[in-house]
Amino acid sequence: MARKRKTYKTHWLVWLRRAVQSVFLVFFLWLFLNTTFFPINTTRGPVKFFFQIDPLVALNSWIASHTFVRAMSLSLVTLVATFLFGRWFCGWICPFGTVHNFFTSLRGGRTKQRLEVGGYSPWQRIRYLMLTAFVGAALLGSNVVGWLDPFSFFFRSLATAVYPALNAGTVALFTWIYDANPGIGPARLTSISEPIYAQLRQHLLAVAQPYYTGGVLIGVVFVVVIALNFFRARFWCRYICPLGALLGVVGKNPLVRLHVDTSQCNNCRVCLVNCQGGANPQKAAAWMPSECFFCANCISDCPWNYVSLTTILSRNKVEEKAHVETTV
Amino acid sequence: MTDIHRRTFLKTTALAGLKTAALASAGAALHATPSSAPALSIAHYKSSPTAPDGIAEEARRLTRSAIDSLGGMSRFVSRGNVVWVKPNIGWDRMPEQAATTNPDVVSTIVHLCYEAGAKRVLVSDNSCNSAQRSFARSGIQEAAEKAGAQVFFLDERKFRRMAMNGRVLREWELYQDAVEADRLINVAIVKHHGLCKATLGMKNLMGLAGGARNRFHQDLDSSLVDIAAFLKPRLTVLDAVRVLTANGPVGGNLADVKRKDTIVAGVDQVAVDAFGATLLGHKPEDIGYVVQGAARGLGTMNYQSLSPRLTEV
Amino acid sequence: MWKPLSEWMAGFARPPKEARLGIERRTVLAAGIAGLSGGLLFRIQPLASKRTFNPALIRPPGALAESDFLSKCIRCGECMKVCPDNAIHPAGLDGGIEGAWTPVMRMSVGYCEYECNLCSQVCPTHAIRELTVEEKQKVHIGLAYFDKNRCLPWAYSRSCIVCEEHCPTPKKAIWFEEAEVLNASGEKVTVKQPRVDADLCIGCGICENKCPVRGQAAVRVTSVGETRNPENQMLLPDAYGG
Repeated sequence: MARKRKTYKTHWLVWLRRAVQSVFLVFFLWLFLNTTFFPINTTRGPVKFFFQIDPLVALNSWIASHTFVRAMSLSLVTLVATFLFGRWFCGWICPFGTVHNFFTSLRGGRTKQRLEVGGYSPWQRIRYLMLTAFVGAALLGSNVVGWLDPFSFFFRSLATAVYPALNAGTVALFTWIYDANPGIGPARLTSISEPIYAQLRQHLLAVAQPYYTGGVLIGVVFVVVIALNFFRARFWCRYICPLGALLGVVGKNPLVRLHVDTSQCNNCRVCLVNCQGGANPQKAAAWMPSECFFCANCISDCPWNYVSLTTILSRNKVEEKAHVETTV
Repeated sequence: MTDIHRRTFLKTTALAGLKTAALASAGAALHATPSSAPALSIAHYKSSPTAPDGIAEEARRLTRSAIDSLGGMSRFVSRGNVVWVKPNIGWDRMPEQAATTNPDVVSTIVHLCYEAGAKRVLVSDNSCNSAQRSFARSGIQEAAEKAGAQVFFLDERKFRRMAMNGRVLREWELYQDAVEADRLINVAIVKHHGLCKATLGMKNLMGLAGGARNRFHQDLDSSLVDIAAFLKPRLTVLDAVRVLTANGPVGGNLADVKRKDTIVAGVDQVAVDAFGATLLGHKPEDIGYVVQGAARGLGTMNYQSLSPRLTEV
Repeated sequence: MWKPLSEWMAGFARPPKEARLGIERRTVLAAGIAGLSGGLLFRIQPLASKRTFNPALIRPPGALAESDFLSKCIRCGECMKVCPDNAIHPAGLDGGIEGAWTPVMRMSVGYCEYECNLCSQVCPTHAIRELTVEEKQKVHIGLAYFDKNRCLPWAYSRSCIVCEEHCPTPKKAIWFEEAEVLNASGEKVTVKQPRVDADLCIGCGICENKCPVRGQAAVRVTSVGETRNPENQMLLPDAYGG
């Protein structure tokens, strides 16, 4: 007998995921802003943290240079955790992933269109091939994976393009207000804008406007990468990210699995609409752990709560293997 | 020890002509004309402490003494004034390297301003090195903030082209808030300089100029006098607790730093610089901008004629 | 409990359908060979030889020798962000294609602060190895040279020496010779003509950065003399009391 259809309510896992994503994104941006001189010739905070938990950089640098930086052994935690539990890193921790998640969620389009682009695409295999190519180059001492490592890409774009541009724009705005000095009668806009500007200068803006040669190109590439989310959901994460490829390889057989009550499922495919990783949740037997970010959107969206997480320890029998459809 | 120290000091500072007997008692001031307000005062420390606390104490006491000998800060700062204190925060250096003004001298000046009733004291400089680093490592940011001053990095928007009608600088960008402040107090450190031999008070005022300051050097003497004539600080203080004797104005070699344990204060910026030059072993007529300043009526090179008050602390 | 665990472990030997990535071994091999080829191609550039150097390729102090550097740098941009004087920039083709977006110093925009070692603190892979400030002050990242055709005292009989004023080394690496020259009006003037002390100059670039001759400074830094590349030298050590 079919269960009663629930009223739509976002699953608590989704709220938790969003909270964790926000924390890590804010942490990344905070570290970014604190990668600067702070009183006595030091930075404030563990500014290298994200690079130290990044197994792609650790692995590739090791292969290319035959040396290993001890601080980067933290990345083993990421590897082991992914090996055991799957690609939670991409869905919950990676701050660049969170950015892509955000822009993906801004997409409009009818459900039917989103259904067509939500599922797994064989093009997602490209990032595995890129990872292999990078490893090949590293074998000969060339550490060019840094071009597409998500943290390198994000940090570099922020440092050389996004932050300088935002800084210049903000300064220009407040300079215009200061110079034009608009107002009505004795009330001047500068009485509000100047204190705000002083606070911004103290905490967020740069002391001196930074300029970077090649920053325009890096900025354009960044904007294009972000804009690709409107073409396909989480484009970078699915098709480009070599770290995502590494974690996909490592996490393709995790202990934690998605469980679909196939005896009841009527194949409405609502779970597919918001799937971030393109992991085919609508077909239990076709669910791809190497693509799943464990974002829990499918769990939350299923109108009848047929989708849930489980571990292999409680899996009783091998699910009936349905005929695997290849979607777009 | 004290007597030898004092005698050496007198010899090297060309005050030998003045009566030395009057210096026998501690704290004695030299009066030529008791009725006129003193225009120049020199405070000298009897000892030369090596511990950081001792040097800080020395700087504070010398500064107070020098200002008190002039009649106290209330002579220069009135109640409710906005005062701009302009130290040398130009370089990313520590105080021991004598490239920037001693932070305790700066903090004492700030204290004195507030004691005289100032409403707000502003401390800033147009640093040559990174402002963030220079302000922090020179110790001036912390010291001035502790004394209650508003310390801030200069805002690019507030450099305004001003008509100076100088000899070489017809107009130049100067910092608006500094020019518009009620009072300007120049607190410079005495250093060697490759081009003009010595950087003293007038050279320090370059830190309020913006734009392409690196062009001044094509006629540095005239540029400095133009700025000094336009800004006309109320009070000029020279920090000679430590002086940089070579490889200035940046320095770096601690062997080039010498202790002079002196603070000079005065209203005549030419006379102050003329005396400051002698602290580095120069004669006032050797310094181009001092000569030009005197010639253009900005002050007198003959500091002796001002009957400077010499105080031993 | 053991049954599922052993099934799980067996899943690594023979992955179930959903755990397969669906890429043929052939394709993976092809990708690997493509990467290797790229790596090989990088090695045929003259910059990969030990004799050719790009004078504009000035790396931050503490950077390893070039081939080691390229094998460690992850092009993350941490050094570019932290540099207090905006001296470190993402390279274009300065270091070859392989060096794209690695850090390079551009003295016309910023210079290397003498008492700073921040870039060596933030490099996650130690491509810029950690240096104390004292160690960093002994590292040469390049050498300055004067363009006498543009320098004010040399070419225009005008006084200047802003370069010497800003030079941060304890004994200044720029010294000057006083010369009596004629100016445009035919009068004799004395100017201080600056020169570089090749042993003392560490290539920090503040001279180039502060030089009033805009467009192309009258004193510039090139990479020759950098400590990290023993072949990129021009001086005979100890020849002049160095």
